[in-house]
Amino acid sequence: MKHHESSNELQEKAMLYAIGALPEEERRDYARHLEEDGCAVCISENLEFQNAAQSLAMGLPSNTPSGAVKERLMAQVRAEAGTNVFRVAPPSRNFWYWAEKLVLAAAVVLLAITATINSGLRRDVGTLTSRLVELEDRVRRDGVTLATLTSPEVRVVNLAGQGVTPQARARIFWNETDRVWLLYVTGLPPVPQDRDYQLWFVPQRGNPQSARVFNTNADGSAMLEIPVPAGATDFMAAAVTTEPAGGLPQPSGAFVLLGAD
Amino acid sequence: MSTEDQADNDQDLLRRMASKDAQALELFYDRYYRVAFALVIRIVRVRQEAEDVLAEVFWQVWRQSGRYTPSRGKPLSWLLTIARTRAIDSLRASNRRPQADSNEMDAPSRVPQEDPSAQASTRIAISRCLELLSREQRVPLEMAYFEGMSHSEIAGALNQPLGTMKDRIRTAMTTLRKCLKPREASA
Repeated sequence: MKHHESSNELQEKAMLYAIGALPEEERRDYARHLEEDGCAVCISENLEFQNAAQSLAMGLPSNTPSGAVKERLMAQVRAEAGTNVFRVAPPSRNFWYWAEKLVLAAAVVLLAITATINSGLRRDVGTLTSRLVELEDRVRRDGVTLATLTSPEVRVVNLAGQGVTPQARARIFWNETDRVWLLYVTGLPPVPQDRDYQLWFVPQRGNPQSARVFNTNADGSAMLEIPVPAGATDFMAAAVTTEPAGGLPQPSGAFVLLGAD
Repeated sequence: MSTEDQADNDQDLLRRMASKDAQALELFYDRYYRVAFALVIRIVRVRQEAEDVLAEVFWQVWRQSGRYTPSRGKPLSWLLTIARTRAIDSLRASNRRPQADSNEMDAPSRVPQEDPSAQASTRIAISRCLELLSREQRVPLEMAYFEGMSHSEIAGALNQPLGTMKDRIRTAMTTLRKCLKPREASA
């Protein structure tokens, strides 16, 4: 689809694309839009922001690689060209001349193929190592969660939906030893960009204390690990309100979740 | 040579590369290997890996020169896009998150050393534009560009709401765009 005029939304997308900050799926869609739809508005926006993004690279201090990089590159190019030459050259030389050239070219091609395979294997090892570290991290986090959920010292606070979100539910697992809350939310639709949800710790005396600003996933769920606010000892209740993006020092919006110990 | 003339000249080199003219690749490499290497090593941080990536970048330029169109930006922009993508792929494959040292994060981007391949005045002008950014604006920009993080990942890493993060990136990019525009117009 081609756009007829620019808008804030299109500018934001072009800007995030140029700087590389679009999530992968959106990046692919936008790149396809630029490549295939021929949208002059978006191409123009993209080129302008691309110049701005490029300035980050152009502002870096100059750095010089080893001369071997260029040598390797040009050898690879010559090897590729060499195989083409052999296909088209007239057979005017003797057998040994061509045999020698052929062996040389084969050796260069073999070297290039070996280098490519080696590079591919190194990349595979890197990817697998990355995946292993990611899984180890997930196991560690799941271990912490399990320990919290099964601890005899854990207190559970159920929060029920209020007002316009009666279907929402949340549960806080309060590990008093480690001073951590695990908050699980379901059925709470995400708020728009200019709003956030804000979790409040409500003490017996005094004003509510902000515990965390958050938003829910597209399916209305959220799972958060929250350090218990300093001085939070005389807990009476916990609540979630909707607030302007970034949250406020004190609650101003309607309660969407509320629960007591 | 103005930047427009340079871009035309670069496009000519890419056309020659598409016709398998190795000398054109050599000229293109000599012109831009420093700026491309500065970007790659800033991302991957390890010299040997950065050199491997640099060779892959120019090999990709050589193989894909026939696919280049001006709608992708100037040849230098196209090259830097390839270099950034390759470097971030390499970084992810090696499972290293670049640990930008605090000096580098705190100080405005430095004026580059003398580089015979680029117009010094252009690069000094760019450095001055980068100095217009506050640290709060520059950090998310660098996390996106040099570390390949999406806006939501940056918001999470900096413990800031997504809207705030987008605002900072927008302000920074708009500042750079405005600052760079007069230079492009006069080129």
